[in-house]
Amino acid sequence: MHPDVYETVLRWIPEKSRALDLGTGDGVFLERLIRTRQVTGEGVEKNPALVARCVERGLVVHQGDIADGLDQYGDQAFDFVLLLGTFQELVAPAEILREAFRVGNQVVIAHTNFAHVAVRLQVLLRGRTPMTQFLPSHWYRTHNLHFFSILDFQDFCREAAIQEVKQAYFNARGAVRWWPNLLAAEAVSLLRSDPNSRHSAKVNPLNATT
Amino acid sequence: MTSAPHTGIVRGDLQDQKVGDYQSPLGMTHTQTVTLPGLRTQSGFTFDHVEVCYQTLGTLSPARDNAVLVCHALSGNAHVAGLHPETGRPGWWDYHVGPGKAIDTDNFFVICANVLGSCGGTTGPASLNPKTGKPYGMEFPPVSVRDMLALQIKLLDHLGIARLFAVIGASMGGMQALALAMDYPDRVRVCIPIATCTSHSAMQIAFNEIGRQAILNDPQWNGGNYSDDHRPVQGLAVARMVGHVTYLSEFAMTHKFGRKRQAEYDAESEETAMFAVESYLRYQGESFVKRFDPNSYLYLTRAIDEFDLFENGSVTELLRSVRARFLIISFESDWLYPPPQSRELVRLLKRANVPVTYLNLNTQYGHDSFLIENPAFASVVRHYLENELRARRY
Repeated sequence: MHPDVYETVLRWIPEKSRALDLGTGDGVFLERLIRTRQVTGEGVEKNPALVARCVERGLVVHQGDIADGLDQYGDQAFDFVLLLGTFQELVAPAEILREAFRVGNQVVIAHTNFAHVAVRLQVLLRGRTPMTQFLPSHWYRTHNLHFFSILDFQDFCREAAIQEVKQAYFNARGAVRWWPNLLAAEAVSLLRSDPNSRHSAKVNPLNATT
Repeated sequence: MTSAPHTGIVRGDLQDQKVGDYQSPLGMTHTQTVTLPGLRTQSGFTFDHVEVCYQTLGTLSPARDNAVLVCHALSGNAHVAGLHPETGRPGWWDYHVGPGKAIDTDNFFVICANVLGSCGGTTGPASLNPKTGKPYGMEFPPVSVRDMLALQIKLLDHLGIARLFAVIGASMGGMQALALAMDYPDRVRVCIPIATCTSHSAMQIAFNEIGRQAILNDPQWNGGNYSDDHRPVQGLAVARMVGHVTYLSEFAMTHKFGRKRQAEYDAESEETAMFAVESYLRYQGESFVKRFDPNSYLYLTRAIDEFDLFENGSVTELLRSVRARFLIISFESDWLYPPPQSRELVRLLKRANVPVTYLNLNTQYGHDSFLIENPAFASVVRHYLENELRARRY
């Protein structure tokens, strides 16, 4: 993800809160979060070699996939659950998000915007699956399973009765203020479950079992 | 680490290895025996005195806060690392205990004691019953994992160690580590259970039962009253062979043995040499019977089959008192103590808000993965202990 995504998340997380980082990789960001914000943090990572790196950093880490990772924790064990760059790779993102809100009070999701202008132009002009700085892998190598835009994500949140408390958008030049769905390559959102939503349970994607 | 197995780890475990040019940085190490007073077992039997054979390595800090208790598994003993002064054999965990190793004797004061009911110098069925002057045999009271633990605690009291820095153990040793962290929460900071479980499954009991039946049906067993010349060695050897099969993995079986023969076909005798795996199992059986007591095998397998970490109450209640931080390790290829058992343990602890780091290593050598040379395993344990030690000093 864009380095500013991590800087933004660091600003959003209040000191001394409890955070669970899903897909924590080698633990660099989690370690920063713990050091700079005095956060009580844990990570979940699938790859044993990366888990070993986390252990070297002295982090509490669980080896498993994200669904297994969430299942380890009791209700509301964390203030924040972080999904930075992993949401688009999940087989069942809606189920994971529901679990994330069981385990944590707020959820931070950072994702790639598949409606970024560079992506649109590549599809339109080259007629090929786009590859950009933020989508560096060939279609046959990418871990991304879901190709959604910022607007898609907003629709998803609305239907899931999730409130986007804060958003930030970025491209290679830095923060994006205007027309994020066109100009931003990546987005990060701080989410809260919204019990006052008018949306019925029937259309709520978090309740759908597919 | 996740890819092809490390070529350096095919040497196998150290317990029954032939003495070769194996070098230990610890050199010769010694065990010592102490007589401790009064131990009451869970079954209600009271020993007036119990002998404990144990080994210590490294130096106890002036604050007495760097002790690491290593709990051995079913067939282990107090000789954890270094070379045995008489046999020259390395200790069973010499790969991982020593200066600069996973459990660094430059940092830690390592204690390893032979468990109650075993036969490596601690009181067990082969010890003399003071009331009869003869070996206990089957008169020995049933032993539980918690009885073993009670004796470990007595030893710690004797050594003046109020609080361990860490307890670490695999398999049966992991059960003791878990019970220690739960039953004696004030006495340990860090708990590292490896390839273990909270209670045996039907399959784990089943394999132990095969081993026990092999011993019980050996005519030499004689109700547990056998002399040194007429021990039920056949039964014990078969038990050990079954055990060894469950400690290996399909990968290890294929790569160590496959369908290889022990020797070339001999045209003169027209005999086909036995399979390498047969020879290996026979060797393991034969070497085991020289150092292990058949009755001890019955008692210890019974103890681990009966073990239930949560036998004394509800899981939530029992885990509430736990204060240690955990590193839990399982091995993907371990089908005797399969990773889902460790994961269930992790889940229970995490849901009780215990800080747990869990790692399922891809080591391909089955349950034996903790006994062999295993750089990935060693690195994780060493770094975890180092970080915990550093965190403590802040």
